[in-house]
Amino acid sequence: MIWRKAARWLVWAISLGLLCGFAWSRLDLSQPINTNVLTLLPAQNDSAALTRATERTRNAFVHELLALVSGTNAADTRAAAQAARRAMLAAGLQAENLGQTFEQAQRVFQRHHFALLDPAQARHLRRGGAKALATDVAVSLASPAGMVSAFGSDPGGYLTQFLAALPRPYPDFLPNGPFLSATRDGRHYFLLRLEVRGAAFAKQGSALAAAAVTQAREAVQQTCADCRFEATGAPLFADAARREAKSETIWLTVISTLLIMALIAFVYRSLAPHVLAGLQLVASVAAAAAAVIAIFGSINILTLVFGTTLLGIAIDYAFLYFAEYWFGSSPPAAVMEKIRGGLGIALAAGALAFAFLAGTGFPALMQIAVFSVAGLLEAGLVVALIFPITLTRQPTVAAHPAVNWPRSFIARACRPSRWRYIIPAVLLAVAIPGWFFLHASDDVRELQHFPPQLMHTDQHIRTILGRFPPPGFFLIEAPDLNQALAREEILFAHVAQQLPQANAVGLSRFLPSTSRQQASLAAWRSIFASPAKLRTAFAQMGLPPALGDHLEAAWQAAPREPLTAQELFAAVPDLNKFVIRTDHGVALLATVFGQSNLNAAALRQAATGLAGVQFVDPLARIADTFERIRVRATWLVVVGYLLISGILVWRYGRREALRMLWPPLLALGVTLGALGWIGVPLNVFVVVALILILGLGRDYAVFLREVGARQRSPALAVTLSAMTTLLSFGLLSLSQIPALSAFGLATLIGILASYLSAPLSLPPEREKP
Amino acid sequence: MKYARLVFIVLSLGTAAAAAPAANFAATFVQTRTLPGFDTPIVSHGLMRVDPHGFYWEIKSPYHYVFAMHDGHVHEELPDGTKRQLDPDQKPWLAAVEHIFVSALSGDRSQLQRYFNVKAEPINTGTHVTLTPKPGALAKVIERIEVTESAPGHPERLQIREKSGARMDIRFTPVAAQP
Repeated sequence: MIWRKAARWLVWAISLGLLCGFAWSRLDLSQPINTNVLTLLPAQNDSAALTRATERTRNAFVHELLALVSGTNAADTRAAAQAARRAMLAAGLQAENLGQTFEQAQRVFQRHHFALLDPAQARHLRRGGAKALATDVAVSLASPAGMVSAFGSDPGGYLTQFLAALPRPYPDFLPNGPFLSATRDGRHYFLLRLEVRGAAFAKQGSALAAAAVTQAREAVQQTCADCRFEATGAPLFADAARREAKSETIWLTVISTLLIMALIAFVYRSLAPHVLAGLQLVASVAAAAAAVIAIFGSINILTLVFGTTLLGIAIDYAFLYFAEYWFGSSPPAAVMEKIRGGLGIALAAGALAFAFLAGTGFPALMQIAVFSVAGLLEAGLVVALIFPITLTRQPTVAAHPAVNWPRSFIARACRPSRWRYIIPAVLLAVAIPGWFFLHASDDVRELQHFPPQLMHTDQHIRTILGRFPPPGFFLIEAPDLNQALAREEILFAHVAQQLPQANAVGLSRFLPSTSRQQASLAAWRSIFASPAKLRTAFAQMGLPPALGDHLEAAWQAAPREPLTAQELFAAVPDLNKFVIRTDHGVALLATVFGQSNLNAAALRQAATGLAGVQFVDPLARIADTFERIRVRATWLVVVGYLLISGILVWRYGRREALRMLWPPLLALGVTLGALGWIGVPLNVFVVVALILILGLGRDYAVFLREVGARQRSPALAVTLSAMTTLLSFGLLSLSQIPALSAFGLATLIGILASYLSAPLSLPPEREKP
Repeated sequence: MKYARLVFIVLSLGTAAAAAPAANFAATFVQTRTLPGFDTPIVSHGLMRVDPHGFYWEIKSPYHYVFAMHDGHVHEELPDGTKRQLDPDQKPWLAAVEHIFVSALSGDRSQLQRYFNVKAEPINTGTHVTLTPKPGALAKVIERIEVTESAPGHPERLQIREKSGARMDIRFTPVAAQP
C-alpha cells in the first residue's frame, strides 16, 4: 500500500518536475514575462519590404522617449535641461546630437548646393537667365533677413531656402546644442529626444526608461526649482502597463483565492480541502506556465493575467471529488470510481474546447490554449493520482443546510412546471432585442488601458511640440533608389496638394532625385554658359560685375554633379533608416506629420493611383487581424460545439443530448443580449468568454447527469464550481484593462445564466418522498 | 539657418538692450557690406521704420527693394517690380524672427541671451551693446555684433563681423517718425 502511494507521488512529482525543468531550459531569462501585446499578433503574409518597414517604424516608435524641460528663465531652464540630459544618459539611455547632425548635413548640402534647386527655382533661372540670378542675389544682399556673407556660400539664397524647407522634427523647435528648443508665451522649452536601446517593452527596457525619467525629474528640481519636467514615450506606457498588470494579477489572485478558501472552509469545515485544493492550484498553474514557456520561450502578460482565472476551473474537479467524498453516498475508496465518468468527460470536453483556441492562429489565444489545457490536465492528474491516496478515512463532517441547499434547488427546478418554459422564454424575449444592439470592435487601442496621468502628459507634450504621431506610413517601392525618390517626390506633391497643413517626411526631402538634381545643374549651366551676360546683368542691377566672376569661379570649383546617397549617408547615417533594400530593388519609408491627428483615409487617398506607393496603417491592419481571428474563433466555437454535441449524442442519445445542450445555448443567448443592452462590444476576448460559457454550461450538465441527477454531491459540486468561477472570472470585470473587463463581464453573466439554467438539462421529474 | 537672419534681429537691439519698450523709430541708412575676396564693398542706401507692430525696410539704391513685416504678414517688393507675400507657415524662420523681433522691441532680452552673451555699456547718447555668440552653430559663423545708440532705443550704428571675414556696417540717421 505504501509503495502504491509512493509510486503515485513519484509519478506526479516527476511528470511536473520534468515539465518545469524543460521550461527552465527554454526560458528567455532576459524577458521571462513579455508585456508587448503586439508580439501576440499572428505573422502577416506581407512582402519582405513591408515586414521590415512595419518593424522599423514600430521600433522607432516603441524606443523613443521625449523629455521636455520648461521654465521662465532661459539660462536656468537650459541648465535644468542639461542636468536632465546628464541624468538620463547616466541612467543608460541614448541621445542624439541634433546640432552635430545638422552641421554634418549642412556641409554636404553646401558642397552640392548647385544641384539642390527645387523645380520652381530651376525653371525660374532657366527662363530668366543671368538677369533672374542677379535679381535674386540683389534680394539676398538687400534683405534684412539675409545673411551677411550669404553671397559667398549661397548666392541667391537658394540653399537657405532648401535648408529652411527641410523637415523639422517639430514646428518651431530648432536645434540648440544637443536640444531642440522653442519659446512660447514667455516660457522656454528644451526638448530631449532619447532612445531606449534593447527591447523597450521588456521589463529591462521600460524599467530603465522609467528610472531614467525619475532621476531626470530629480535632477531638474535640484537645478531649477521653478522648471517643469515632463516625459512621454512608449517605454513609459509599457512600464505603467506592466506595473498595473502586476498589481491586478496580485489582487485578483489574492482576493479570489481568499474567497474560494472561505467558501471551502464554510462547506467542508476541514483543513484537508485547503491543502489539497492549494496543491492542485499550485501544480496546475506551474504546469500551465511551464507548458507555455516550454513552447514559446516566455509567457505574455495577458496569458498570465488570464491564467489567474484558471483558479476557478482547475478547482472544479477537486470540488467534484470533495463533494462526493464528504457528502456523497460512496465510501472513500469508491469516490474516484463514482466521479470518474463526470471528471473524464468534463476534462476531455474542457481541454477540447480550449484546444480549439489553438486553431485560431492567434499567438495570444494559442498561449492561453496551451496554458489552459496544461493547467486542466495537471488539475485532473492531481485529482486522479493524489486525492485517492490522501482522502482515505471516512469523513466526520455532518451535512449542514448549506450543503443540502444545492440539491434542493436542483430538485425544485426539476419539478414539472410551466415556469421551466416561461422563465427561459421571458429571458430570451428580453435578451433578443439586445442582440440587435451588439456591435463588434477590433480596435487594439480599445483593448488597453492607458493611465490618465500619462495620457494627459503625452497630450500636453504633443500639443506643445505641435506634432502628433501619424496614423501610418507610406511605402514607396521601385527597382532602384533613384526611381523610388522620384516616386516619393510625386507622392509628396499629391500630399501637399491634398493636405496643405501636413508636413511630409522622407528621404527625397534631403536627397532630391537625380533627374531633379540634373535639372538644377542644367539651370546653372545655362547661366554660366555666357559669363559676359552674367557680368552685364550684375552691372545693370548696380552690383559689382566681379560678383559674376566670383560666382562662375565657384561653379567651376564645385563638383557639378548630383549629391549621391552614399555621400549623404556617410555624413548623416540616420537617413539610412528611410531606405529598405530588398531582393527586387529598393523601398522607401515616408510619413506625414500634422499639427493634429491626420486622417488615415486622406493619406490613403493621396497614395491612390501612384505606381509602387501604398499607405500602411498598422493599427488598421491589427484591427483587421483581430477581426479575422474573432470571426475564425466564432466558427471554431460552432464547430467545437457540434463536435461535443456529437459526443453527447453518442453517450446519452439524441433526446437527452439536446436537453443537455439547451442550457448552455440559453446562457449564450442571454449573455449576448445583456452585452448588447450594456453596450459592451464584441471582440476576440468576448468570444473566448463565450467559449468558456458553453464549456462550463456543458460541464454542469455532464456532472449532474454522470454522478446522479438528484444526489447531493453533484449538485454541491456544480454550485461550488459556479461560485468559484464567478469569484475568479467574474472578478476580471473589475479589471482596468478593457479587454479583461469585457471578458470578465461576459463570463459573469454567462456563468450565472449557465448555473441557473443547469436544471433544465435534466428531465422534469417529481421528487420521490 | 535661422542664424542667417540675425541682421534683422539685431536691428531691434537698442531697445532690447535698454530693456525699455520701443517707441516708433524711423531712419535712413547706409549699408556697407564687405565680402571676403572683394576689394570693393557693396554699398546701398535705404530707409527703415520700426514700430511695435512691425518693421519696414526699403533699399532705394542701387536698386529698389522693400521688405515689410506687419502683424505677422510679410511681403517683399523685388528689384524687377515683382511683389510677393511670404508665408511664415511655409518659411518657419520668419515666424521665429518675428517673435524674436517683437520680444526685443518690447524690451525682452531673453531671446538675445538665448544665443548671445550680452554686454551693455552706457555711453553719452544711450547704450553700446556688444553681442558675442554663445558656443554653438552661431559661434562658428558670427564673431561679434555691436550696436551703438544715438538715443535710448534708437540705433545709430550696427556692425556685424563674421568668422569668414565678411562685415556689415549699417549707419542710421534718424528721421521724423511717420504715423
